[in-house]
Amino acid sequence: MMWDGIIIGGGLAGLVAGIRAQERGKQVLLISEGAGSLTFAAGVLDFGRMEELQAQENHPYALLGEQAVRDAFRYLIGLCPVYHGEWGRPQAVLTPLGMLRQADLVPFRLDASPLAGAREIILMAPEGLKDFFPEVVKTNLQKQFPGAAVRLQRLRVEEFTNWHRVGKPVPATVYAKFWCTRQGALTLQNLLQETALEVRSGLNPVMVIPGLSSAFCPGLAQTLDKAPWPVVEVTSFPPSPAGQGLYETLKEEFRALGGELLIGSGVGRVEIESQAVRRVIVKSRGKETAFAARAFVLATGGLFGRGITVSPTEVREAVFGLPLYVPAEWSGSAFLGEQPYARTGIAVDDRLRPRHPISRELLLTNVHVAGRMLAHWDPWLERCGGGVSLASGFLAGELL
Amino acid sequence: MSRYSVQVAIIGGGATGVGILRDLSLRGISALLIEQGDLAHGTSSRFHGLLHSGARYAVKDPVSALECAQENAILKRIAPNCIVSSGGWFVQRPEDDPGYVEAWLQGCRAAHIPVLEVPVSQARRQEPLLAKDILRVFEVPDAAVDGFKLVWDNARSARCHGGRYLTYHRVDEVRRDGNQVVGVRGKNLLTGEDFAVESSLVVNAAGAWADRIAASAGVSLEVVCDKGTLLAFNHRLFQRVINRLRSSGDGDIFVPHETITIFGTTSQRVEDPLDNQPTELEVKQLLSLGSALLPGLTEQRVIRVFAGVRPLHGEDSELNEPSGQAAGREVSRTFALIDHEAVEGIRGFLSVVGGKFTTYRLMAEKASDWAAAKLGSTSPCRTAQEPLLPDVPESLYREAQALLPCAAAEKMLERLGEEALPVLEAVRQDPGKGQLLCECEMVTVAEVEKAVADEDAHHLADVRRKTRLGMGTCQGAFCAYRALPLMWREGNKYDPLGVELIRFLNQRWKGIRPALWGEQLRETEFTRAIYAGLLALKESDGDSGGTA
Repeated sequence: MMWDGIIIGGGLAGLVAGIRAQERGKQVLLISEGAGSLTFAAGVLDFGRMEELQAQENHPYALLGEQAVRDAFRYLIGLCPVYHGEWGRPQAVLTPLGMLRQADLVPFRLDASPLAGAREIILMAPEGLKDFFPEVVKTNLQKQFPGAAVRLQRLRVEEFTNWHRVGKPVPATVYAKFWCTRQGALTLQNLLQETALEVRSGLNPVMVIPGLSSAFCPGLAQTLDKAPWPVVEVTSFPPSPAGQGLYETLKEEFRALGGELLIGSGVGRVEIESQAVRRVIVKSRGKETAFAARAFVLATGGLFGRGITVSPTEVREAVFGLPLYVPAEWSGSAFLGEQPYARTGIAVDDRLRPRHPISRELLLTNVHVAGRMLAHWDPWLERCGGGVSLASGFLAGELL
Repeated sequence: MSRYSVQVAIIGGGATGVGILRDLSLRGISALLIEQGDLAHGTSSRFHGLLHSGARYAVKDPVSALECAQENAILKRIAPNCIVSSGGWFVQRPEDDPGYVEAWLQGCRAAHIPVLEVPVSQARRQEPLLAKDILRVFEVPDAAVDGFKLVWDNARSARCHGGRYLTYHRVDEVRRDGNQVVGVRGKNLLTGEDFAVESSLVVNAAGAWADRIAASAGVSLEVVCDKGTLLAFNHRLFQRVINRLRSSGDGDIFVPHETITIFGTTSQRVEDPLDNQPTELEVKQLLSLGSALLPGLTEQRVIRVFAGVRPLHGEDSELNEPSGQAAGREVSRTFALIDHEAVEGIRGFLSVVGGKFTTYRLMAEKASDWAAAKLGSTSPCRTAQEPLLPDVPESLYREAQALLPCAAAEKMLERLGEEALPVLEAVRQDPGKGQLLCECEMVTVAEVEKAVADEDAHHLADVRRKTRLGMGTCQGAFCAYRALPLMWREGNKYDPLGVELIRFLNQRWKGIRPALWGEQLRETEFTRAIYAGLLALKESDGDSGGTA
């Protein structure tokens, strides 16, 4: 069988490319070695400072142009309506330590703006919630909202009694899953009612609840809608419920549109003829299977996704062995400052096709590169990870 | 200004300094140790962790060989919880000089170092990663020693016998009254406050900083700073210490520790004791040299690179050429005690320089003998007999294993000995405190809380040196986040958290940067995602800024 497109890599960029291509009536196979890194991420999407980044000569934003990035922004809202955002007006969300930070596309209820008007903040502290430090969050909230009284309310769920007894921490994703059950929603409803008795509504109370993501769980969202005050959620230390929610939503959407998913096996070999990829060969359970397609998307997640591997002597693109842009200076002295290595990646033309980083010669005519595999950007310093991945994934899906 | 009055002031909180503190305390002589950083933050924690059998010095430095052989046996007896008697092999490769092997065997005999030849076929079976084309293998009583633990145990034992120490106190001047030394003065680096110590004697055990201390008393001392770079791999490549059987050179020692292996080292003269930043070039050279003993070494995961500065005694040097790559190895590795009365007529002032970690106790004994003689004390040295820590009772082992995973229980007891009792009590009261805060090194929440509560824990790095937190493969990505809030809660020392987090991350980064590839590079990406992305910390938050 000849596929219209094969996407290699099942993270944000790969899934969006797949969804877009399926929407356009293409038959797409997505091959993913792992589960992408969305579950490690907070579930909020950053777009960064468009104007500044676009001005950098080789930045993906310069290549894609502002309109494409704006289109991708709107596209994601259409795809996942639980995401809210207005172009150019970042929202505040709470970090796992209870500090405010900005993000551009935010699942409903992670938006922390209700806190601004609160005179009382009720911080819920689910017992044993892993990597959550109620006292620190409480202090940080108090510092940032001096006009509000912050109250810590411990919360204990029968479901996890055995976990607590042996001292096993409950990951946010596990708590989140519980709240999504009927039993969980009921428990939460009761807790809200109990709390309501102690809260005076004249104080504009706002409740902060960590370890759940109602945006991806309609039953839970209904329960929280009925709360007599606004509820603000908190981004999670990995693994995160919201990140997982986004990952699952995109996967389901791709499948619902008829896309084929192959997760757990990577591409072992490729066949290239006259500057075009013909087939990729996947090795699974000791058996090799070849898949042919007219075009390919390479969205293998860069250094963290293992799309780029680095040894003491070599920096290598893992699937096609494409030449990479590798900065002359590899690292910088300040860990959270400029780290040139992060800009390693594939140089591309305006159709995201790989070019030689120096000669600029076109290398493969039917491959489009997306997401973290692109050269010349740093998602952590520039805070544009969501924007580059969405916009390049969307464009790749258009081009398949 | 804080004032102290003791019989002996000791400058330097490395192995030698704490060894002297313990020795004097056991003799009933009052002593105060002053250290500019945390205990063991200098060379005593920046080495390969090899407890020498003496075999490495058998040819070139017979005095050192003999000293090492004797101290090796003593330390195994008094500090069993700090030492793993893994044994060590000396391995000869085809290109190594056979004449050297004979000289080496003779040297070992002279120093009474037991040597046993291991058949090559057996060696290959026991150490499958070892190069196949080796010629001969000899076993010696080398061992792995935990420098942090040994230093802390000495300090604890000294404290039990009345010894005191001040960390983060920098000595600026050794004070004299005429030709008599009368004490030291300096600054508390945490508060900025001045301090002064009155003492009859001052012992300078400041290691690579010893020349500066001597200069402040108006005497001269030549210390050669010799930088040695080491790599830490993420698992045990070998089960025992592996040495190359040839004239000592770069990159010929592997030492397995717990779940990692340390490999090194290099030898390069540097001007400043703080010049301990390893370079990528050194790492690549080391990897290439080490491949002779372990083919494919380049493929192994380097989690960290670090360098220590050996303080060698310049005047013992047989060296004609003052610089050059191998210069440091030509300088004697034996130690020297310099009584400045004999040299410059300055009374009550002793400098201890040179030597090596393995002989720290012997150096401490000699220095303490000097102090005892000056003070007219006749109490003999007891450090060769008295164990550092009392034996951990069997019941405590059983209790720990009932409350914690077996490996975690054992590691904790090795670190804490009987002091594990309050930690276990905390876990019993709240099982949540038995959680492994540091999953790589298996450190519980309760143990970190205990280390944090210690009066001498000022930075996350101090807690790291005591617990090994952040020293495993994640290099702090998870545990720095988990430990800081605990520390912060215990009395607001670390508020704002962002400053301390970034300080810790940048310290870890220093050792990751020179080997930024493979899995550690992926880990780096992930760590930046957490701290710069998720927690939205910026480098500028490290200066003063946010609470994080």
